[in-house]
Amino acid sequence: MGDNNNNDNNVNLPPGFRFYPTDEELVVHFLHRKVSLLPCHPDVIPDLELYPYDPWELDGKALGEDNKWYFYSRKTQNRVTRNGYWKALGIEESVNNNTTYKKVGTKKYFVFYVGDLPNNNNNNSSSPAIKTNWIMHEFHLSDSASASTSSTRSSSKRRSSNKIDYSKWVLCRVYERDEDDDGTELSCLDEVFLSLDDLDEISLPN
Amino acid sequence: MPDSMSISVNGQSQVPPGFRFHPTEEELLQYYLKKKVSNQSIDLDVIRDVDLNKLEPWDIQERCKIGTTPQNDWYFFSHKDKKYPTGTRTNRATAAGFWKATGRDKVIYSNSKRIGMRKTLVFYKGRAPHGLKSDWIMHEYRLDDNTITTTNDIIITNNIHGENNSPEEGWVVCRIFKKKNHHQKSSVDHQSTSSPVVNTVLMESTEEMTVFDSSSIGDEGALEQIFQYMGKTGTTCKEEDAGTENDTNDDTNDNSKNCRFLPINNDTTTSSLFLKLPSLESPNSSQNGYHQPINNNNNNGDIISPNFGFMNNHHQMMLDSNLMIISNWATLDRLVACQLNGQTDQASMDYCTDNNQNHHHHMQVPPVTTTTVRSSSSSNKPQAEYNNEIGLWSSTFAKSSSSSLLPSEPICHVSNASL
Repeated sequence: MGDNNNNDNNVNLPPGFRFYPTDEELVVHFLHRKVSLLPCHPDVIPDLELYPYDPWELDGKALGEDNKWYFYSRKTQNRVTRNGYWKALGIEESVNNNTTYKKVGTKKYFVFYVGDLPNNNNNNSSSPAIKTNWIMHEFHLSDSASASTSSTRSSSKRRSSNKIDYSKWVLCRVYERDEDDDGTELSCLDEVFLSLDDLDEISLPN
Repeated sequence: MPDSMSISVNGQSQVPPGFRFHPTEEELLQYYLKKKVSNQSIDLDVIRDVDLNKLEPWDIQERCKIGTTPQNDWYFFSHKDKKYPTGTRTNRATAAGFWKATGRDKVIYSNSKRIGMRKTLVFYKGRAPHGLKSDWIMHEYRLDDNTITTTNDIIITNNIHGENNSPEEGWVVCRIFKKKNHHQKSSVDHQSTSSPVVNTVLMESTEEMTVFDSSSIGDEGALEQIFQYMGKTGTTCKEEDAGTENDTNDDTNDNSKNCRFLPINNDTTTSSLFLKLPSLESPNSSQNGYHQPINNNNNNGDIISPNFGFMNNHHQMMLDSNLMIISNWATLDRLVACQLNGQTDQASMDYCTDNNQNHHHHMQVPPVTTTTVRSSSSSNKPQAEYNNEIGLWSSTFAKSSSSSLLPSEPICHVSNASL
């Protein structure tokens, strides 16, 4: 999994250190440097070009950590993979600098469908696509953040032409949605006992 | 392991962007805590020592930050000292509040081998009986004794523990974090679910509980649904009767409650004790009896809102009469715990029935491990009052044990967990 990727890139950290980037870090440290052709050190996130892989195929190809996978891709309109496609949820969040609150990027949400893209062809011979629990966050540089790079000006004009824009990168985080996947959360059982504590102190000898 | 590590964690961080200290429980125990207790040097000072009595959670946050990146949880070593020479509890009081254990300890496995335990604690602001529950949670990890002694690559030169390596002393590794509250909001909708479902869940979890001793717990799934029925939590620490808490520096569990903390003997003597107890006439009451604390609390008012629906008229009657005797939930709880721990002797009963006047006396009662029911009484209390309760609870346990279940799910979990 991700450990292999880490070792390949000489991220020599003690046990317990993992790739848990914030959205801001993904945008500022990784995407921005990638777009600006600045060296990323350590260069842990691989470039998978367009979306060729189904989400369950990302393991071993993208940087995987804690059942989340990270990779660079190119900006495109049709996010089609071998067995399905990513459909936009229509949710966009701005990614802001932690201290200045200045917007540095945009985070878009996608959900993965197995099946053919609707209206892909004039044939509707195929069965309707099936929604999955796979979620993708696609990070884009905001215009102000990418304005410093020369290549982005022209690319934003070409975007409307519904063509693949190879000049602009996005950074993707893919994971399979799980209700209780936060390691810092209490288990349901802990919550029960916390509630019971309110009855009285039902507690252990410490 | 990285031998050429040159990352300075405190001060200037060389941790590459995007990387955070997010150890697994196994890493915490097997790598960090094992090195700590065996005095091996740890390459990086990522986990610092914290005197839990001196630092508030928000100070720990500052002291234990790794690098400059935002963190959601913080890690530190803490050395547990016994609070009293004779007691078994740890003093976790700070200047502003105290850490209070909750729930049962969770067994931590590594490659399906048990390596340690995790205790969950909540920080309360204020002083013991009137503490205000905060959102600060601590997971305290300790190694199993046998893990330390049977592992080959660890040399025990443990002059801190001395020869006493009990779980209540020595080094532990802790993680603190702030609780999120979305679970509680989402659960409110489920309050009115019918009782049979809840009953089933409780029964399943008690089955799980019976095998706790063989360290095969770990599946908390059966209990997850319980939470759905718990409804919203209160925010204040339940007040005790004023007299039961004299030690203002205490972290809520004082010696007066020793009777509640006896570990349950998960062997046949305990079961046979329950089986020997007299049963009550009503078969219904024995079936549902051990859910009464929840209902009782519900009667008392405000802390848990959902009515579990277990109450039938008979129980209501019983409880109403008992409520005349049992002044509050805390008292009843004590009674239950005493029963669970095989204590039905007179002292405990007295304590339960009249803790306002007699608690000073009964605070001195040592942990009693009697496994026989004493019917004779040297008490000056009216016996009829608590006989009622004994009968009620005993029949519950008799029924429960006969179906190879231990009674009263949460409390029994807790008792077992102290083993």
